Formats: sequence, C-alpha cells, structure tokens
Amino acid sequence: MFHPRLALKAFSASLLLAAASLGAAMSGASAQDVIRFGAPLPITGPLAPEAVKQQQGYDLWAEQANKAGGINVGGKKYKVEIVYSDYQSNTPRSVQTTEQMITQDKVNFMFGPFGSGAAKAASTIAEKYKVPMLAATASSSQVYDQNYKYLFGTFTPNDTLTTPLTQLVKAKAADVKKVAILARNDLFPLAIAQEMEKSAKANGLEVVYFEKYAINTLDHSATLSQIKSLNPQWVFVTGYTNDLLLIRKQMVDQQMKAGVVTMIAGPAYQEFIESAGQSAENISSASWWHPAEQYNGKDIFGSTANFVKLFKDKYKLEPDYAHASAAVCGALFQMAIEKAGSLDRDKVRDELAKMDVVTFWGPVKFGANGQINSLEPPVFQIQAGKPVVLFPDAIKQGEFKLGVN
Amino acid sequence: MLAIQVLINALVLGCLYACIAIGFSLVWGVLNVINLIHGSFIVLGAYLAWGAYNSLGLSPWYALLIAAPAFFVFGYLLQRLLLNRVITAPVLVTLTLTFGLDLILNNAMIYYFKADYRKLILNPPTGSISIFDVVVPVDRLIATASALALTFLLYLLLRRSKVGRAIVAVRLDRDAAVLMGVNVKSIYAVAFGLGAALAGCAGVLMALIFPISPLTSSAYLGKAFVVCVLGGLGSVSGALAGGILLALVEGVGSVYLGPAHAVTLSFVLLIIFLVVRPQGLLGRKGFE
Amino acid sequence: MTRTNVALLVLIACVAALPLFGDAYALRLGTMACMYAIFALSWNIVGGFAGYPSFATAAFFGLGAYTTGILMNKGVPLTLSLLGSLILCLLLAAALGAVLLRLRGHYFAIASLSLVEVFRELVNNATDLTGGGMGLNIPLVSGSSVLSDATFFFYAMWGLLLLTALVVIAVSVSKLGFGLNCIRQNETASNMVGLNSTLYKAIAFGLSACFVGAAGGLYAAWVHYIDPSDVFDILYSVKPIVMALMGGLGSPLGVVCGAFVYLGLEEVVWRNYIQIHSGVLGVLIILLLLFLPHGLISLHVGKIWRGLTGRKAKHV
Repeated sequence: MFHPRLALKAFSASLLLAAASLGAAMSGASAQDVIRFGAPLPITGPLAPEAVKQQQGYDLWAEQANKAGGINVGGKKYKVEIVYSDYQSNTPRSVQTTEQMITQDKVNFMFGPFGSGAAKAASTIAEKYKVPMLAATASSSQVYDQNYKYLFGTFTPNDTLTTPLTQLVKAKAADVKKVAILARNDLFPLAIAQEMEKSAKANGLEVVYFEKYAINTLDHSATLSQIKSLNPQWVFVTGYTNDLLLIRKQMVDQQMKAGVVTMIAGPAYQEFIESAGQSAENISSASWWHPAEQYNGKDIFGSTANFVKLFKDKYKLEPDYAHASAAVCGALFQMAIEKAGSLDRDKVRDELAKMDVVTFWGPVKFGANGQINSLEPPVFQIQAGKPVVLFPDAIKQGEFKLGVN
Repeated sequence: MLAIQVLINALVLGCLYACIAIGFSLVWGVLNVINLIHGSFIVLGAYLAWGAYNSLGLSPWYALLIAAPAFFVFGYLLQRLLLNRVITAPVLVTLTLTFGLDLILNNAMIYYFKADYRKLILNPPTGSISIFDVVVPVDRLIATASALALTFLLYLLLRRSKVGRAIVAVRLDRDAAVLMGVNVKSIYAVAFGLGAALAGCAGVLMALIFPISPLTSSAYLGKAFVVCVLGGLGSVSGALAGGILLALVEGVGSVYLGPAHAVTLSFVLLIIFLVVRPQGLLGRKGFE
Repeated sequence: MTRTNVALLVLIACVAALPLFGDAYALRLGTMACMYAIFALSWNIVGGFAGYPSFATAAFFGLGAYTTGILMNKGVPLTLSLLGSLILCLLLAAALGAVLLRLRGHYFAIASLSLVEVFRELVNNATDLTGGGMGLNIPLVSGSSVLSDATFFFYAMWGLLLLTALVVIAVSVSKLGFGLNCIRQNETASNMVGLNSTLYKAIAFGLSACFVGAAGGLYAAWVHYIDPSDVFDILYSVKPIVMALMGGLGSPLGVVCGAFVYLGLEEVVWRNYIQIHSGVLGVLIILLLLFLPHGLISLHVGKIWRGLTGRKAKHV
C-alpha cells in the first residue's frame, strides 16, 4: 500500500536525484568517458510486460560491456550508460521521449521503442537529428520503407515466420486443408495474421475463418464455439501473452481439438509455457531467435550458448527472442563503434550499414532499407513442456507432432 | 447446436459479469460515487488468490474468506479517511479522486507484481462437462455458483440486517435517513467497504478464469460500467440481468458480426439504454 | 471584457514568445501545453459553464485526428483538412449533444465516456478507410529542418489556442454563456422561464468538441502516425477535468493555468520517477482535491494577479 511517508521518501529521493544529475552535468570531465544510449520502454500501459524483457536484455549487455572495461574507441575505454524512460505504451509519447533523450539527455545513440508502430514513429526523430537507432522489435517492412539512413532493425519481415511454418505443416500434415485465423486487432498481431492468410492461400489451404478480436476482450467463448463448428484442422491465433493464455484456456474448456494449433508470439515466452501448463503441449510457433541455436559470434557474448548461460545466471530465466534481440542491439552498437574507432554518429552509422558479421543472434547484415535480411527464423513446438526446434534443419531438435487437445 | 452452445456460454459469462459489477453498482447506487478503483480492487483480489494458492497452497475458497474481510476493512478505511471528506462535493470531484486512487493502486501493483501475466492453474484441472454436444467448463460453473451465492448473501444482508436496511434507506432517500437517525457517514463507509469486499471476492473468482495482471483492471471496469447501466443501479437483481444481457449481446454479436464488433455493439447498446431507459432493465425510474 | 479574460489573453500572448528561448524539445512541450489548454478551455464550456461532466474529449480528439489524417492521405491540404475536422466535430457533437445532454450527472458522464469507446471501435473496424489496428500514416507537411518544423506546429497549435480562447471569452459574455450558467444553476427553472436549454446545450457541446477536433487534426499532422488506442486514449478525457479542477472550475483563466501546471507536473514527475510516475501523479491529484478544492485560482495569490493584470490592462 501507499504511505504518505513513502511518498515523502520518494520525493526526497528525487530531490537527491535531481541534485546528483546536476552534479554530473557540471563535472564534465567524467561524463566524457561514458557513452550514453537512450532506451524508451513501455513500462506502464498495455505493453508493460515487454518493457521488462527489453530492459533485461539491454542491462545484460551493458553489464558485460562494462565488465570488460567498456567499449574500446580508438584505444580509449568508454563505459556504457543506458538512459531509460517510460513512454507509457503510447506512440506519441515514444516520439516525445526520443526527442527528449537526444536533445536534453544528450544520448549518443538510440535504441528503438517496442514494436513496429512506435519504432516507425520514433525513427522520424532519430532521422531528423541524424542519430543511429537500432530497433530491437520492429518487424513490419512498412517501418523500413521510408528508406531512412539511420534506422536499423534486427527482425526479418513477418512473412519469414509464416512461410516456413506453412511449408512445414504442409509437408508433415497432409490432411490439413482448412485453416481458421483469429487475430488481435493491433499492429503486429494483425500484420502477422494477414501474412498467414497469404501463406495459407499460396500453399493451397482454405481459410475458413479470419476474424479480429478487439483489444481488451475478456471472453472468446462465442468465437471459439463458432470456430469449433467449422472443424478447421489448423487453428492460428495471434495476440499478446494474456490473450493467448485466455484463448488457449477457453479452447480447452470448449474441448476444441485440431491437428495443428499455432500461436504467435506466446509460446516463445517461458511465462506462456509455465502459465498454460499441460495445455501448451504441441502448440507450434515461430520466432526470430531460439536459445537452442548454435552460432559462434564475434560479438561480446560470443556463442549463443554463452549468452544463454550469462542470461540464466543473472535472471534465473530462459531467455527468449525479445531478451536476445535487445541484447544483440547493444552488442551491434558496440561492434560498430569499435570498428569506427569514434563516437561520430555518421561513422558509426556507416559501420552499421556495412556490417556483415556472425553474432550469437545469428548472421547480421542489414538490407538497403535498414532491416536485417540474413536471419532464418526458427519454427518450434512445445513438447513435454519444452520448446523443440523443428526448422531450420541445421538446428532441428525433434519431429513435428500432430494433435492438440 | 452452435446457438445453444452460445446461449449457455452467455449465461455462464453473464453471471461472471454480474459478479464483476455488483460491488461497483452498490457503491454507485448508495454513495452516488463512480468508483474508478473498482477494477484495480478486482485485480488485487486475483493476486491474493494467486499468492495464497502458489505460496501457501490455500485453495481459492479459503482465499475468499481472507479477501472478504481484508477488502472490507481496506474499503471502509478508504471511505472513512479519504472519500468522506469530499462526498458532498460535485460528481466530478469524487470521480477524479477515485481516478487518482486507481493510478496509485495500479502503479503499485505494476511495481510489486510486475506487469507480466500470471495464471492460477488448479491442480488437478477441473475440466469441462459435456451434455450431448454442449460443453460447460467446470471452473466457470463453480465461479458462477459462488458469484450467485455472494449475490444472494448481499441480498439477504440488505434485506434482513439492520445495517442493510440502513444502506437501502440511505440509497432511497438520504435526507430522510438522516432524519431517522441514521449515521450517514458510517453507512457510506460500510457500503464502500462492502463494495470493496465484493470486488475482492470477484477478483478471487476471476483468478480461476482469466490471466492476472494489473493491466486487466480497465477491462473489468469497462464491463462493470456497461452491466450497471443495462441492469439498473444499486439493485442486486439488476446486475444479474445486466450481466446476462451484456454476455448475450456480445456472444451473438461476435458470431454474426465478428468478434471485433462485439465491443462496439455493447457500448452502442449502453448509449441506447442511457437515452431510452436510463433506469436500466430492473431499476426504478427517477433514481439518479 | 473582465480582468481575468484580459489576463488570459496576456498569458497566451506570453506563451507565443517561447520560440525565442526554447530549443526543439521546449517547442514540443509548448505545443503540448497549447493542446492541453485547448482541451481544458473546450471542456470548460460544457463542464464548467453548463455543469455537465463530459468525458467526450478523447472521442472528438480522435475523430478530428482521423478526419485530418484520412483527408491528408487523399491529398487535401492541411488547412482544409483541419477545417474539415473542425466542422465535422462541431456538427456531430451538436447532434449528439441534443440527445445525450438530456441525461444528467453520472448518466451523462457515462454516455460521453462510451462515445470514446464507440468511436474507437468504429475506427478500429473501418479498416479500409483508417487502417484499423495497423494505424494510419500521415504525409509529412513540410519536411524541412527540425527547428522550423517544431516552430511551425507550435505556432499552429498556439493559433488554435488563441482562437479557442477568443471564442470561449465571447461565449462567456454572450447570451449563450448566461444561458449555460442558468442551466448549471437550475435547469428546470431555466426551462420554465422559456430558455431553450436543449439548443443551448447542443451548441455548447458542439463548441466544446470542434476545437478539440481541430487540435486532433493538427496533432495527427504533427506526429505523422496515429493508431486508435493512441488517439482515443481515455486519458485525454480525464486530463482536462483534472486540469480544470486544478485551475478552478468555470474560469477560463483558471483552466488554462491548470493545463500549464498539469503539463509541468506531468513532465517533472514523468522524468524523475520512471517506474512510479503514474502513482506519484495520483498522489498529487488527491492532495490537490483535498487541500485545494477550488483550484489554483482560489489561492490568494489572486491579489497579486489582480494587481498585475490591472496594470497590464492599460497597455492592451
């Protein structure tokens, strides 16, 4: 509960903070040995769970970089400092905080806010001020079609998830003919559902149901009863973790059975698997990265296995693609800065643009529009409470299992 | 078959909606306060059930026994110490005050519990029963039964006990109640406490069904609004009627128009009700 | 013209000097301050003058934003698009007001609140026109340097604020303002003496919506990207009420001061408490309501104000 005394404490703490930041601003000498990165996070509002993940990824990278003495810029070591702010899951606020970080907090480089919409909006500001921005979670190709010079992203376009998934299902489950798609009416979930519809049609599957549900929907029973009555062999659902948990629970309640059930992006997250329990079994999904991958990178984390180990040691959690993407953005900045040998934003930007390197995240090479084009996103399935990679073949851990109850 | 299934779904869901709304309705009816903190109370109740089950191994039924008195005291004190100071001020002031309280409680929950979603998973799972081809999930049935029992208890309390009679008296005519020697401030506090207790219990029951996160509070609050207006303010049976009507409209709407339109439909219905029948399905006319 | 109205215009005139001192970020805050002041002034017409607790601000803000956004995507220039937003909101709100303002107290509050939900879901589902949940991109207006862009939008929003203030002042001294006052004090009695209260309320609701709608349109052009949950954010409805309560219900000068103070508080709290800013804001709101129930305008700093404005009035 909230106490007036606590408020007083918080207030005095903030006064101290203000005094401290004033002090820091005045002692210019020490401030020069630090590279500041701006990271807007959706700490409150509907995207709040994602903020936790991003922050953990950034923090892990900053900790590793500083443990190694900092970033080496032309022989001199600079410490990493990340400036966070809360943009309240509100796109305009993310634009505002980006401008604030660049002009007031004097950050050297920017991380993008969460998701495609906010990243697109904020990248306009970064472009204006010519500050390189690395977006950890922006997949829609519309984000990059403005041909901005200073925006880079570590997610491949949405169809790189749905196409291999559809091909896999078609190869392994010949009797899947009818697909039902249910999508949250929100940028990313809707975009990926539309890609799914395209891939399904391209592969000769019949889309028997394609509907959106409103944000904040508390009950899906009527929708699911209707889908059940259509007898699809493949049920494809998109949404955030809460939506997917609720829908999965209600599918079980309604005793819905299907050969294939795919959910994006929930099953990539450990908390989905834990909270869904038994009902997560045989749910398939796809994402941009998976801890089972085995890359030997040139970045500060080195191999994928090392990243997973460091992450587990620090947070006692299995990392997922959101954690990893945030961390790799930091690592990529570090490599670009060290290669440029300077903090000059244009030089670092040029290094990012010509980057062609293997990292724990996978091979990284950005296309002309700034979006990564070198990744092969894995398809996986929950088997016995663990995600098992089915594709690509190089890191395959098991066979696709049919039947979701 | 689909039609029957949708109907059954709606009946069960409607009782849950009533359970969400009833405390909100009581506070609105008696105190004339739109209690914006209601949604966060429900979420707090859900966290209580989750914590009790996962760390103490207490089943949600026992959690109900903890939640009811704890939330009652919490609500009582909140009204006594804070809301009673501005209870005579215009509508806006009390509403804004509860808005401020909600900001605090919700932020505190995000801070302490983190924003990620939790789920209370009963072990063993309760499953569903099916009659012919119609399925009804058992946990929803249990929650519905408990919700009905709670509602009935409230009904008894208002009808039979002395405090209950006083609450009803204040609701119907505040000034007359004062003349009859009712201590209005204390009745207000009791009513707010009851509202909070009902929210807490609703939260415990919702924990069985919905994922738990501070972010869900606005969804609960939205449902409470609609149910109250549809059913009529401050009446126990009205909340049930409103809940079932809302669930029916949503269910039928999402089958025939698509799930994205279900929400629109429920709010359009709400505006129509406000304009045409502001007293709700079962409310009395002229009661503001 | 009363002294407080003169003070209001002086205050707005002072704000116009901001580009002389501030950088692009200060201009961004200044633009938001003007936007908030437009909200508060507009809300005050129906909430302060007529005494109807409206939560419809976000509904018309979003509607205005989408109207301008859609028009600009069809190649209509900014000024015409803004005019479109303004007129659409004026007419639609007046029509809705004639129906909804028959409700009183909480019932009206909820009806206006549901308008936000209905508008948002309609926009969400009209995918062909609005892009639905995918959001809507709006073409850049100027595309020139950072500072000139910021200055342009600042002055545009400031101009809109000035226009709003002039209209609000005109309303407050006109027969309409008098009628709204009567309605607030005793609607039944006003009806009995022959006041056409439905017409008055409809006009008031229309006026309280149209500038918000235009501000929404300007905002859309300013941020280039809007999506339904951002512009139909219920907080846009709640904030003007808090500002009005902070500044002093019913007083145009009071609500504008309230808007500026609110923005300042929001910014300071938001910057300094990354994890708990909304909670701290909640505490501030509660403290204000408990200890300053009649708003900043009731402070006896009022005397200083009067001295100041009395003196400045000669120059104007």
